[in-house]
Amino acid sequence: MSTPQSDPLLQAETTCGTLLYELQIIWDEVGETDADRDEMLLELERECLEVYRRKVDQANRCRAQLRQTIADSEAELAAICSAMGERPVHIRQSDQNAGSLKEELSTILPQLEEMKKRKIERRNQIVEVLQQIQIITNEIHESAKSICSETVADDSDLSLRKLEELLRQLNELQKEKNDRLKQVEDHLSMLNSLCLVMGMDFKLTVTEVRPSLSDSEGFRSVSSRTIEQLATLIKKLQEVKIQRMQRLQDLATTMLELWNLMDTPIEEQQMFQTVTRNIAASEHEITEPNTLSVDFIKYVEAEVSRLEELKCSKMKELVLKKRLELDEICRKTHLVVSQSVIEDAIEAIESGGVDAANILDQIELQIAKVKEEAFSRKEILERVEKWLMACDEECWLEEYIGWDENRYNAGKGAHLTLKRAEKARSLVNKLPESVNAVLKFYHINPGIVEALVSKTMAWEKETEVEFLYDGIRLLSMLEEYTILRHEKEQERRRLRDQKKLQGQLIAEQEALYGSRPSPAKAQSAKKGPRHSTGGASSRRVSLGGAMLPAYKLDSLHSTKATPQTLNKKTERMFQNHFNHRHDDAIPAFSALRRGLDIADIPVRKHSSGVINANGLESPLVREPFSPISSTVSSKANITNMVEDEGETVQKKLPVKDLLCNTPSKIVSLVDNENRTPKAMSMTAITPVSTVPVPMQMAMTPAALIPFSNTTTTTATKAVQEIHQEIEQSFEERRFAFVISETQVT
Amino acid sequence: MTSVHPLPVPGRELANPPTDGISNLRFSNHSDNLLVSSWDKSVRLYDASANILRGEFMHGGPVLDCCFHDDSSGFSASADNKVRRIMFSHGKEDVLGRHDAPVRCIEYSYAAGQVITGSWDKTLKCWDPRGASGQERTLVGTYQQPERVYSLSLVGNRVVVATAGRHVNVYDLRNMSQPEQKRESSLKYQTRCVRCYPNGTGYALSSVEGRVAMEFFDLLEASQAKKYAFKCHRKSEAGRDIVYPVNAIAFHPVYGTFATGGCDGFVNVWDGNNKKRLYQYSKYPTSIAALSFSRDGRLLAVASSYTFEEGDMLHEPDAIFVRSVNEIEVKPKPKVYPNPPA
Repeated sequence: MSTPQSDPLLQAETTCGTLLYELQIIWDEVGETDADRDEMLLELERECLEVYRRKVDQANRCRAQLRQTIADSEAELAAICSAMGERPVHIRQSDQNAGSLKEELSTILPQLEEMKKRKIERRNQIVEVLQQIQIITNEIHESAKSICSETVADDSDLSLRKLEELLRQLNELQKEKNDRLKQVEDHLSMLNSLCLVMGMDFKLTVTEVRPSLSDSEGFRSVSSRTIEQLATLIKKLQEVKIQRMQRLQDLATTMLELWNLMDTPIEEQQMFQTVTRNIAASEHEITEPNTLSVDFIKYVEAEVSRLEELKCSKMKELVLKKRLELDEICRKTHLVVSQSVIEDAIEAIESGGVDAANILDQIELQIAKVKEEAFSRKEILERVEKWLMACDEECWLEEYIGWDENRYNAGKGAHLTLKRAEKARSLVNKLPESVNAVLKFYHINPGIVEALVSKTMAWEKETEVEFLYDGIRLLSMLEEYTILRHEKEQERRRLRDQKKLQGQLIAEQEALYGSRPSPAKAQSAKKGPRHSTGGASSRRVSLGGAMLPAYKLDSLHSTKATPQTLNKKTERMFQNHFNHRHDDAIPAFSALRRGLDIADIPVRKHSSGVINANGLESPLVREPFSPISSTVSSKANITNMVEDEGETVQKKLPVKDLLCNTPSKIVSLVDNENRTPKAMSMTAITPVSTVPVPMQMAMTPAALIPFSNTTTTTATKAVQEIHQEIEQSFEERRFAFVISETQVT
Repeated sequence: MTSVHPLPVPGRELANPPTDGISNLRFSNHSDNLLVSSWDKSVRLYDASANILRGEFMHGGPVLDCCFHDDSSGFSASADNKVRRIMFSHGKEDVLGRHDAPVRCIEYSYAAGQVITGSWDKTLKCWDPRGASGQERTLVGTYQQPERVYSLSLVGNRVVVATAGRHVNVYDLRNMSQPEQKRESSLKYQTRCVRCYPNGTGYALSSVEGRVAMEFFDLLEASQAKKYAFKCHRKSEAGRDIVYPVNAIAFHPVYGTFATGGCDGFVNVWDGNNKKRLYQYSKYPTSIAALSFSRDGRLLAVASSYTFEEGDMLHEPDAIFVRSVNEIEVKPKPKVYPNPPA
């Protein structure tokens, strides 16, 4: 009330002062007392104070309200943020609050508005998702719960996490729904195929479960109940299908049996191919429409019953047919089955007393039994066949050989039948064929028989039945054979002893008189070369010819170009042949005989046939000089002797000698092989020489080609062929001999 | 060596010889032990220098060939089709495996550690003797031959197989699937024996017709031009030749010269390079069935045993002679005469 500080106050002050002045004037006029005047002034002051107090109170209230509003807004904002799961945008920091309350409020309010808007949006999203979830759940569970917004309106949690969770839930539900849809589709298609196969109406069947399902385009129920119902339906239909299938397969089996039994023509069978084709099919393999429909099964049933009727009418025929089959099996397996049962049965059928089907069953049972037995007999039967075959071969061999071993041993590789003999021998004996000389064992290896006996005995023991072969006990057959063979063996031994004796007689005779009777077959063939009975003084027996057959052919074919050098042993063999001839004719002319081997060309000319014959006929390769020549040294090669005596022989037979063996010729022939006619092929070999001696060798490798002479090429070929066919080394011959020795003794 | 004095006799005869034909004899690579196989079904082990019979092993059939593994064991090929291993020290034997026909020849390859057998069943088989007994474990391979195997020889990784029908197959032990070379004997008669040169460049092959061919593995023309054949073991009398089979060839381990033995009972020593005969020993009682030089070439074992060339007949007893070899008998000589162009 003193100095005016601002215009309004100043003005108010002024106004108040003026008014007070005016009042003083009035009072003065009125003449109020001072007491009244003081009282009135006090009242005035009191009234003024009252007005101030009221205004302050009002302002104070207003401020508090503002504060409250701010706090409320902040609280609301915080609540929304927490519900939305977000950090509050604005956090008031009281100490830093610079602005007035109104400023503060104005910053908070738009934020709050923004948050509220977002909150509503979020809430709407959640509600929408929840609604969808509910819809799908309802579909699956077939309940009709409607969505209540109250439940949804739980505002406490509107966070993104919650939304995502709900979305996931929704997703899952949608997937489940899809799965169910697919399942329903599967079921439906399966149902469709089942219905198709069994000739049912698909729509009708499905409508039973749920009418909407039959509509291929429409809404598909995916509820658990629907699926369950569909599954049951499918199961039921499948059972029906299996039932029908079994029925059909039974029918098909019967049908096949009947066809088989009655030889039903193919055309007739063709019509039921669809049935018989599925005879072994499993349930899921039958997919063809209508194959299991009631009508079709009825149709097949009708056919089967038709066939059954047909069968009854043909029963007798069938029984006879089965019997033939049985007979055939028995014949093959050498079994004997009593025929009377079947005969009786047939009679019974004819008289009509028995059910033909029964008989048929019986025969079939019998066939099965026989087959089983045949199987157990198979192994032994095979052995029996082998044995019987070997017996045949043995018989043939015996006939062929006629118990005379000479014939068999003689013409190795010469006679065609020998091949057969060789084959038979190997069959009978199972010896390696390389051992050509072991041709003597033509008896069945006892092992075959023994093995057969033991097998048979084992079989009989096991089955406790006698093993019959065509009704005869196999064991007795084998026994009989063994006895027979034993007898033959003895007979053979006896013959051999006799021959040996004969041979000795001849040898003695020979030693005595220097000649011997015709050797043809009197002397045991194999003894001849083995220990040269007659050649007491000779220690060597010529086998060279047989061993080196090439030489033999050399001399047969090529008279001029034959390398005479090779022929020593061969010639000796020829000597033998010639000797055989001449022995008979001119036994006394031993010297002449000796000469013949040198004069081989003329001899060959007139006796080539004999040579062949000898080759076949006799292995009696005998050393020609042994019987008489006491001068022959035991170690000396016979040929040496010939050559030693060659001079005298030549003197005795000059003409024959000249015919072929001029020395000059020999020299050139000797070197033919090496093509070095001038080489010193006749170089003397001085025993125990320390002076190096040049080898007698070919100049060029080409010179080793044998018989290059054109005149003899054909002969060479022949030589090589024969050579390959019967080539044997000394060791092979020796082994064959050792084998034969062990066999004889 | 000057200490060796020429013997008038064919050498020292071993006591306790086999009682039937001798099929082969071989000196050990490590000692003077001598392994002898025979038709009397036995394999005998002698100490040739001490003249002692060290051991005797009887088989189920005639023994056609034998060879050493080391000084404690050897192998045999028997006519009972079996291939056996013989342990000398224990006197034991076991069957390595079998062929389908008599086993004609056997060799042990130190290079491959395998036993190689040739048989009349027309196969060559390789065995691993380290495997346990039993064919399925020891058999390395079976190789079909064109004909029955008659003779077999090894040098390094090469195997030369001579068969009936005058076939000669040359194999490489490292690849036995097929022959390295298929040849035909240069000689036109049956092969008796084949032996490789110690230097591994070729082989000598003898036939039943007194002839020996010297062959070379190398197929180049220059090498093939060196091959030749020569006649031996023949007797020439009154202008005619008598021809004897050449049963055995043995190369001298030091000089590479070689000895041949024939059915004439002679043993000749040859210098293949100079094409000379170096020596002829005095005649043995009967055919020479087998020959073997000792590891140092100072001893020569000679089997004088009838080889059945003329069938069954009486013959001189089977005997084994061990003779000391004088250097002069086996050492190649400088050329004395002008040689035929090689």
